[in-house]
Amino acid sequence: MKSLLQLGALFAALAVISISIPVLAEKSQSEDIENLKGKVDGMSETQLEILSTLNSLSKIKVSGYIQAQFQIAGSDGAANYSGGNFPSNVHQRFAIRRGRLKVNYIAGWSQYVLQFDVTNSGVGIKDAYLSITEPWSKDWSLWMGAFDRPFGFEISYSSSMRESPERSRMYQILFPGERDVGMKIEYAPEKGGLAFLRGKIGLFNGAGLPCANSAANENDNYKDVIGRIGVVLPMLGQNMELDAGLSVYSGKVRNQEKYLYTLDGSLKDWQVDSAASNKYKYFDRAYLGFDAQYYVDVLPLGGMSVRGEFITGKQPSLSGSNTFYNPTSGIDPALGLYQREFAGYYLNYVQNIGLFDQFVLKYDIFDPNTGVAGNDIGKPGAQLTGTDIAYSTLGLGWVHYIDSNTKLVFYYDMTTNEKLNSAASGSLAKFKEDVKDNILTVRMQYKF
Amino acid sequence: MKKFLILAMLLLPVVAGSKDKAIITVKGSDTMVILAQRWAEVYMTSHPDITVQVTGGGSGVGISALINGTTDIANASRPMKPGEREKLKQRYNSLGVEVKTARDGLSVYLHSDNPVTSLTLDQIKAIYTGLITNWKDVGGNDAKIILYGRENSSGTYVYFKDNVLQSADFAPALQSLPGTAAVVNAVAKDPNGIGFGGAAYAKGIKYCAVAAKTGAPAYEPTEENIKKGLYPISRFLYMYLRSKPTGALKEYIDWILSPDGQKLVAETGYFPIR
Repeated sequence: MKSLLQLGALFAALAVISISIPVLAEKSQSEDIENLKGKVDGMSETQLEILSTLNSLSKIKVSGYIQAQFQIAGSDGAANYSGGNFPSNVHQRFAIRRGRLKVNYIAGWSQYVLQFDVTNSGVGIKDAYLSITEPWSKDWSLWMGAFDRPFGFEISYSSSMRESPERSRMYQILFPGERDVGMKIEYAPEKGGLAFLRGKIGLFNGAGLPCANSAANENDNYKDVIGRIGVVLPMLGQNMELDAGLSVYSGKVRNQEKYLYTLDGSLKDWQVDSAASNKYKYFDRAYLGFDAQYYVDVLPLGGMSVRGEFITGKQPSLSGSNTFYNPTSGIDPALGLYQREFAGYYLNYVQNIGLFDQFVLKYDIFDPNTGVAGNDIGKPGAQLTGTDIAYSTLGLGWVHYIDSNTKLVFYYDMTTNEKLNSAASGSLAKFKEDVKDNILTVRMQYKF
Repeated sequence: MKKFLILAMLLLPVVAGSKDKAIITVKGSDTMVILAQRWAEVYMTSHPDITVQVTGGGSGVGISALINGTTDIANASRPMKPGEREKLKQRYNSLGVEVKTARDGLSVYLHSDNPVTSLTLDQIKAIYTGLITNWKDVGGNDAKIILYGRENSSGTYVYFKDNVLQSADFAPALQSLPGTAAVVNAVAKDPNGIGFGGAAYAKGIKYCAVAAKTGAPAYEPTEENIKKGLYPISRFLYMYLRSKPTGALKEYIDWILSPDGQKLVAETGYFPIR
C-alpha cells in the first residue's frame, strides 16, 4: 500500500512538472521578448536623441585656410600692394598672410557667419553677420553685420581661390579690408525666367572694418549706398559663360577742417579753399565700376578665364594717402581734404593646364589723380605728392595644386611707377626712375 | 633676376605637367551604381587597356569628388546645383559638362500586402512631411506609416525633396538608409513601410501607382508610362565631367551613348535616352 502511494505521488509530481515546464518556458520566453522589446525601444529612443544631436551639429560648418609665404622684394623697404610694405632695412621675409577660420551655422532659411583672420601681425575679425533668405522662392536674402561690400567682382572672390596672391591695387586702395558694417538685400534667383539676373544693394557706415590701411569707426551720420546689378549668362552646351555687372558706390565723408584741396586743371596743381564753411561739410565719395568675366574650355588644356574690371570716380582723401578720407584713421585731419578723381582697371587671365596647374597673367593700373601726369609731380613749388603717382603692375604666376587641400603659388609682380619731373627732389627724387619694388611671392596654402 | 624668374615660370609646366592615365574613375549616385558597373564591365572586356573604377556614395559625394579632382566622372541622379557649378568654375574655370545617360522613374515602394495601390503626389508629400501618419487616411489599414528614404547626400533624396515635397522638409520620423537597395529591403520586411528609389532596385515589393493630382489617373513607373511622360516622377540620370572629354574619356562617354551602351541601360531596368 505504501509503495502504491509512493508511486502515485511520483506520477502526480511528474504530471505537475510536465504541465509546469512548458508554462514556465512560455513565461520565460515572453519575459525575454518583453525585455528585448524594452531594449529595442530604449535603443530607438537613444538613436532618436543621437539623430537630433547630429542634425543640430550638421548645421555647423567649419572651414578655413592658411597662407604661409616667403617674399623677396627688389630693394630694402619696398612699398607695395603685394602683401604690405617691407620694413626699411628688409627685402625678404616669411609671413602668415592669411589664417582664416570660418564658422557657419545654417538653419534652413537663416545663417550665422563668423570669420577670424589670424596672422603674424595679430587677430582680426573678417566676417560677422547673419543672413535671412525668404523661404518660398529663396531668391531674396537680407544680410546684416560686417561682410564684403557689394561692389564689383574681385571683392567677393575669395582669397583662397584667387590665383594672384593679392587683389589689384585699386581695390586695396578703394576698399581697404573689403568689408564694411551695414545691411544689404541680395537677389539671386536660381530658377525661372530671371535666373540670369543678379542684384545686391546695401547701406553701410562707409568706414570699413579695422585693417592695415584703415581704422574703422563710424564718424558721421551719412550712410553709404553700395550696389551691383549683373547678369550671369551660362552656355552649358559650349561649356562657356559670360558674366558682367555694373556697380555704384555713393557715399560721403565729413571734412574735419576748413581746408579743401581741389585740382587746378590749368596749373596742374592743388589749390586750397579755406572757407570756414568747408569745416564739417560733406564731400562725395563716389565710384562707378564695370566688371566682366568670361569662362571657356580650351581643349586639350582645360578651362580658361579672362576677368576684368574698370572703376572710376571721386576719392576724398589726404595729402599723404589716397585711401578714403577717414577722420578716425589717426591721420591728422588738420591736413585738409583732397578731392581726387581716379581711374583704374585690371585684366586677369587664367589658363588651367590639366588637373593640377594654372598659368596666371594679370595686369592692373591705378591712377589716383587722373588730372595730372608724372611730369607734373615734383615740379618746383608743386604741392603734388607721391600719393598722386600712377602705378601699373604686371603679374606672372603659376599655381600648382598638390592635392585637393594644398596649393603652391609662384608669383612675380613687376610694378612700374610714373616717371616724375626731373626737378623732383626729397622723397620724390627716387620716382624719377622706376623704383625697385618688384616682388617674388612663393606661397603655400592649406584649405579645408 | 627678372629674366631668370620669367624663364623659371615658363618652364614650370614642363616640370609639373599632368600625367597620362589609362584609368577612368567614376563616383557618385548610388541609384546609378549598378548601371555604371555594368557599363564598366562590358567596356573593359572590349578595351583591356582601360580600367574603369566605379564607386557609389551619392550624387553629392560624386560631384564633390569631381570638384576636388578625385574622380574623372561624377554620376548624379539630379542636376548639378548652382553652388556646385560655382565651385567648379572657381577651381577649374569650367562650368562642367553634363551628359544625360538614361531616364529613371523614381518609384514609390509599398509592401506587397499593403492594400493601398495608388497615391497622388499631394498624398505622398503629406505622408513624407508627416501630415499623414496613418494608412487609413489614404485608404489602407489602421496602422502607422513607417517612412523609409535615402540619406541627404543622395541625389534621389534631393530630387524627391525638390520635386515631390516641393522643398518642404522630410518628417523627423524618416529612417534614412544608405542605398536604395536598403530602402527596398526595409519596405519588403515592413508591411506598414513606404519607400522611394530607382526602378532598378525594386524587387520583392510592389510599385505604388502615382497620380499627378486628385482625380487624375495614376500610373506605374513602366517604360511606356515614363517615355510618354505619364508617370509624374521621372528624371534623367547624368554624368558630369570637369571639361569637354578627350581621349579615352571621350571614347568611353561616346560608347555609353552608343546603341551598345544604351542597351545596358534597358537591361538594368532604366530607360535609354537614344
